[in-house]
Amino acid sequence: MNATATIIFVALFVLITMLGFVAAHWRKADLNVLHEWGLGGRRFGTIVTWFLLGGDLYTAYTFIAVPALVFGKGAMGFFAVPYTVLIYPILYTVFPRLWTETHARGHVTAADFVRDRFGSRLLALAIAATGFVATMPYIALQLVGMEVVIGALGFPTEGFTGHLPLIIAFVVLAAFTYKSGLRAPALIAVVKDLLIFITVIAAVIVIPAKLGGYGAIFAKVPAPKLILPAPTASSLGAYSAYFTLAFGSALALFLYPHSMTGILSSSDGNVIRRNAALLPAYSFVPGLIGLLGYMAIAAGVDQNPAHAAGFARYGSNYAVPALFLESFDSWFVGIAFAGIAIGALVPAAIMSIACANLFTRNLYKEFLRPDCSQAQEANMAKIVSLAVKVGAVVFILALPQDYAIQLQLLGGIWIIQLLPTILLGLYTRWRNASALLVGWATGLAIGTYMAATQGFATSVYPLSVFGVTLPGYAALYSVLVNFLLAIWLTPLFNRRSQPTHQ
Amino acid sequence: MQDETPRTDWRRYLPRLLLLIPFLAMVWVPSYNRLEPKLGDIPFFYWYQLAWILIGAVLILVVYLIEGEITRRS
Repeated sequence: MNATATIIFVALFVLITMLGFVAAHWRKADLNVLHEWGLGGRRFGTIVTWFLLGGDLYTAYTFIAVPALVFGKGAMGFFAVPYTVLIYPILYTVFPRLWTETHARGHVTAADFVRDRFGSRLLALAIAATGFVATMPYIALQLVGMEVVIGALGFPTEGFTGHLPLIIAFVVLAAFTYKSGLRAPALIAVVKDLLIFITVIAAVIVIPAKLGGYGAIFAKVPAPKLILPAPTASSLGAYSAYFTLAFGSALALFLYPHSMTGILSSSDGNVIRRNAALLPAYSFVPGLIGLLGYMAIAAGVDQNPAHAAGFARYGSNYAVPALFLESFDSWFVGIAFAGIAIGALVPAAIMSIACANLFTRNLYKEFLRPDCSQAQEANMAKIVSLAVKVGAVVFILALPQDYAIQLQLLGGIWIIQLLPTILLGLYTRWRNASALLVGWATGLAIGTYMAATQGFATSVYPLSVFGVTLPGYAALYSVLVNFLLAIWLTPLFNRRSQPTHQ
Repeated sequence: MQDETPRTDWRRYLPRLLLLIPFLAMVWVPSYNRLEPKLGDIPFFYWYQLAWILIGAVLILVVYLIEGEITRRS
């Protein structure tokens, strides 16, 4: 057990726990109303929104998995950088519009908006269910990020005592989310970003200095890993996979329910617009984290017998914790690991609140208890946020970790199927719910099929067009079919249902 | 498509064409899938894409400022 690191880790954890509970008194209001609990009263200004959206974009899993991918697969793992380049133009275009269209009508979720726009309870339910199901494994994966750093601190990892730290962390998370709602992750996100920024900046300065500079680091990376393999005559190979992964992931981002929660909690449209203009400045530092994967290769962390058990248990995900253990003094290891663990709590809280809002608004109130009071509605959401977290813990502890990873991969393919509905709802006057439902169902089926043909091991599907293979992100291919169907069927269905044109 | 509300002037959104530039840069994978020229000791593939995060940030800021100016004038 690494004593100094553990003490600092625990101290920081206690600090954010207190923050989480104090948050209930921040901009005090009646937390028994859903938009106060679940959207922070829609009063967050530019700075809080910045941290909240930042917390959405960069999660603990990102900090573990992106370097792990670069560590294992080289250049291909760097697609997180073009992803970062592409999310901001999309965010700038779509987010303010979404805010304007939803805020005035008092919507809490994207499904509320769809219900209002298309007048279809069924389409709204499909949108809500997709969001809920796609987010669940995402929450579970945050636990994976946390489990890795807890294991790296030297806690036992087997049996009930091994799971105890993780369970305690999630009980604490569940308690302050229940009490304070979205105010808790909004406040904690500030601490999280501070810790992560300090860690990444220290890492990209201190570690290369120890390893003999960036030249020495890149020299130790096997040459085939450094750039993407060139296309052949019959296949675009890594080129199409690389771009479609970046583009598809960027499109999926704003469709996740927790992005919506971040948008709707801000006080006005200018806050969103200003954030879209300012947030890219945030992303340069997280963009650097991919390089940590190469630093881990250069440091030879997987050759060190001290880390053998960690790699055996967590695979490439252990690369970053091992690198930090080797490069930093133990007090700083405590800070870095706390940053990653708190980086898991913030998005997990926002995601569970988003799921709770979806369930409460679009299933409970819409179908089960249309006459429920405001307090009942808020109470239901709080209970669902607890249930969602219990579900995530059970999922991670009871099932092999691969399931969570595979489901998260499928989650990306599922969530992107909301794109046609949201875009047509925001930018056109095309209003045919049946056409969108057909597109949605077909997209889901095709996307899931594509992932199944790859044994759920990768979301890159080798599409064949006229004898040329275009390996690409299944989410992007399947949503294209979804979109074409929606555009083709909307006028067709409209004509059928209205034989005499209005 | 039938119109129910008056449309906003499309020319107001012309500056947003600038936002297409990052997409064009990133989709053109062969343009950056190379090791040379290096910046410091960092291969082209890595520093070039990281630089695009900054270029993209500047482009968005420019669009934001232009659109703010347009709103003020009208």
